[in-house]
Amino acid sequence: MSRSSSNTFGESNAALESSRAPGWVDLLIVAGLVGALYGLTRTVQEWTGALRPTVDIDLSPTALPRYAFFSLCRGLIAYVFSLGFTLAYGYWAAKDARAERVLLPLLDILQSIPVLGFMPGLVLALVAAFPRSNVGLELAAVVMIFTGQAWNMTFSYYHSLRSVPQEQREAATVYRFNGWQRLRWVELPFATIGLVWNSMMSMAGGWFFLMINEAFVLGDRDFRLPGLGSYMSVAVARGDSAAMAWAVLAMTAMIVLLDQLLWRPVVVWAQKFRTEEGGEVAQMGSWFLTLLRRSTLVAALKQAGRRRAQDSAPARPSVMLRAGRRLSPRLPRQVSHVLLVVLVLALLVGAGRLMLILRDVPLAHWGDTLGKALLTLGRVLLATCLGTVWAVPAGLAIGLSPRLSRLLQPVIQVVASFPAPMLFPMVIAALTVLGVGLGWGSMWLMLLGTQWYILFNVVAGATAIPADLREMAASYRLGVWRRFWSLYLPAVFPYLVTGWVTAAGGAWNASIVSEYVTFRGHVLTAPGLGSQISEAAASANFPLLSASVVVMSVMVVTFNRLVWRRLHRLAETRFSLSK
Amino acid sequence: MSIDRVIAAQPLDAQVASASVPLCELRGVSHSFAQPHGAPLLVLEDVSLQVHPNEVVCLLGPSGCGKSTVLRILAGLVRPTRGEVLYRGRPLQGLNPGVAIVFQSFALYPWMTVAQNVEVVLKAAGLGREEISARASQAIRKVGLEGFERAYPRELSGGMKQRVGMARAFSLNPELLFMDEPFSQVDALTAESLRAEVLDIWAAKDKQASSILMVSHDIKEVVYMADRIVVLGAHPGVVRTVVENRLPRPRDYRSPELLQMVDRLHDIITGHELPDTVEPAASVSTPVTPVEPLPDASGGELVGLLEYLDARGGREELFRIAADTDQEFGKVINVVKAAEMLDFVDTPKRQVVLSPCGVRFLKGDATERKRLWREQLLQLGLFRKVWTALEQQPRKELSRELVLDLIVLSMPSEDYERIFDTLARWARFGELFTYDENRGVLQESE
Repeated sequence: MSRSSSNTFGESNAALESSRAPGWVDLLIVAGLVGALYGLTRTVQEWTGALRPTVDIDLSPTALPRYAFFSLCRGLIAYVFSLGFTLAYGYWAAKDARAERVLLPLLDILQSIPVLGFMPGLVLALVAAFPRSNVGLELAAVVMIFTGQAWNMTFSYYHSLRSVPQEQREAATVYRFNGWQRLRWVELPFATIGLVWNSMMSMAGGWFFLMINEAFVLGDRDFRLPGLGSYMSVAVARGDSAAMAWAVLAMTAMIVLLDQLLWRPVVVWAQKFRTEEGGEVAQMGSWFLTLLRRSTLVAALKQAGRRRAQDSAPARPSVMLRAGRRLSPRLPRQVSHVLLVVLVLALLVGAGRLMLILRDVPLAHWGDTLGKALLTLGRVLLATCLGTVWAVPAGLAIGLSPRLSRLLQPVIQVVASFPAPMLFPMVIAALTVLGVGLGWGSMWLMLLGTQWYILFNVVAGATAIPADLREMAASYRLGVWRRFWSLYLPAVFPYLVTGWVTAAGGAWNASIVSEYVTFRGHVLTAPGLGSQISEAAASANFPLLSASVVVMSVMVVTFNRLVWRRLHRLAETRFSLSK
Repeated sequence: MSIDRVIAAQPLDAQVASASVPLCELRGVSHSFAQPHGAPLLVLEDVSLQVHPNEVVCLLGPSGCGKSTVLRILAGLVRPTRGEVLYRGRPLQGLNPGVAIVFQSFALYPWMTVAQNVEVVLKAAGLGREEISARASQAIRKVGLEGFERAYPRELSGGMKQRVGMARAFSLNPELLFMDEPFSQVDALTAESLRAEVLDIWAAKDKQASSILMVSHDIKEVVYMADRIVVLGAHPGVVRTVVENRLPRPRDYRSPELLQMVDRLHDIITGHELPDTVEPAASVSTPVTPVEPLPDASGGELVGLLEYLDARGGREELFRIAADTDQEFGKVINVVKAAEMLDFVDTPKRQVVLSPCGVRFLKGDATERKRLWREQLLQLGLFRKVWTALEQQPRKELSRELVLDLIVLSMPSEDYERIFDTLARWARFGELFTYDENRGVLQESE
């Protein structure tokens, strides 16, 4: 087997190899499958075991692989939920204009609620639903991870569905694709690339609150699930630096592994859904995908699958062209209508309940909460500014140089997927040495988690600057400074705005962990909305928790509408490079 | 003959002779797009047109005239704000059942191979597996893409992509092949051969009635392809005229006839001429003296042409004239057309021949020439009308506005001011009547 064969010929090689006897690749795959199977049985045992709200976490490094596997399972299950939610919700919002008017703002609100806002309700309800087994608690953790994953995927999918090029849509209509065919042949493929990138981001977002999701306090009840996040939590609580280092290492290993075995192959595979023309896109490779394509086993399975599909597909009567179809196939009207009514009713009931809880919040608390919200807003904005100051030059440097971006992109992706809260103990230690309190320090913690969004978007914007504009700038000998202000900044501005929106949203959510930090066994807090939410959740003060979450949600949504949306419009009208 | 009348008359005929029911038809269709801010934008106004079996119809017009919207309305993709859309004489419900479209941007699915792009529409049409693969490979062969079945669109050139688009459309054996500026994103040479191939495939069809409707802004392409050319005007889109194109097939891009047609269409679009003056078809059905627009040519230029012809022994080829006189071809055509209207020359094929009347004109002295010129002017509908009107006025004067009205009424789609200018120039040349610019009136010459 020639190892020099490049990825470009992977497919043709696969065809060549498939005629050979099973090789070591197949052995590896079988071994991997067996391992996964074993892990899954252990996970199922864990889930269905008797309810143990608090597990004793073993801080020895040998226990880490098992914990990491449990966390990985939670993350993947949550991702499957997110994907399912995305496909259904996004499709619904894109196809039914009436539902869209409810669904989009709802998604905006959901996105603005920090995970602790969901936590008490979820945990109490699910534990009550499964009083005897661990399933309830596990599910609660999974759904909490889900709340960190789903929303941006849904937005991306919705936007893709709405932006299928007109002629491709018309071709589908003229050639009479029904709703299902349209989805499978046109809309899903078109949305795939956006969905894949957002899935990677979502997975990272899901890990962000892993420490909270697996170990949390609700009043006098202490919940802890076996996992990487709880391992880290316990290590931090005990101030065990060695265990913390092991946990960081395990997390890194897990992220690199996921990147290499899952995301890289998926990204490379998704290249076939590229819509833009031209072959200048850097050839991406994935050794794992190449391996899979060489595998006899996979090829055989694929073939069998294809044969099954052919046997089961009934040949429909040969009618050439059928008249009288509707202009465009839509979600059946009635179904959508009924679902919408149910949803609105549920929302109304929920709002009513919320009102009942909020009645107990004294007026003084509201004022106090608002003051803290403004404080947190200040931190969020400062963190965003700081992120911009370094990410714009760095992003431009990376995006404008093909060599740098080829070298650094994969590294940055992995670094950015790392859940920043796991690094907080180190940062706080550094800050204490420097004599910086958590009041200012929490801003740096926010920055740690959200700067990547700005960087990624600037890189994307810089790579999208048309070559002729750059050549123009070069041929007129514009200096670096002039070039920055008259070309680069305006050109990446739309991307920068997107980065800001995401980063600021992330910073809001991150405030619950950055204003309320456990360090060497003590809890440090900085006055702000985030710490208030964390404290309220820890002390099971549900009225205050609800009030704080409502205030945060309102702040975020209002700020989105008043500031970010206007900047977005400005970016689209003034600085868009596509006509 | 005015085209509006042709169109208005046809539905009745069509109903009588059911054999010639148009495949599809627009009647009085107007369409406006809703705009986010402000009043809706009217893109089409009162458009009527028909596509008959076995013909190639082209919609020609400047950008912004709603050509593509007309096509989409006929396909059933867009429902017009007002007016009727008929398919085989019945109101169209939903999509037009006989239509396949070839799109400007190809509209191929980049994640499907060439073969899959074709097969997918056959699958959607509910065909059986064997038939799908048979039809797809046949269609791919027809457009010359054999061997590229497993290639992805991004690996193909623009021309090859459009071949896939054509294969996809042909695979369904459509009754109506709609093409929306199909070759505008294909390089010029490839476009030439693609046009020929489309016509070949179309001509090789079995007895099945099948027509092509193509949208284009390329005059040469339209003249090469079309049997009938519907010229649209812009803002809002209206049918300005319909030109029959009887040039024999196969056509040659460089043949003088084709180039002449191209030139006429160019004039029509830029607002210089109404067609039908040299239209052989029009002579069949025009008993009344028509009012023709006047080609943009002066009396001096006309005399120049006649004298040139005289020097060449009374006849010369049209292209030689243009080459010898170093004039723009369109200009020469205008002068020749004017001379022919006044019966000073004949134009058998590409030749321009002095007529007996022309010979007499050349032999005469100044007064004789003027007399002859006047005589010939009064053979023309417009001059006769104006002259009669002028004679009926007690003061033998006619205001410019009145004449403009007359021109507008008889030639609604023409540039009436330009025609008025030509009218005044020609009349002054023969001293039939003169135009007093200061007072804005036509008056009898002293």
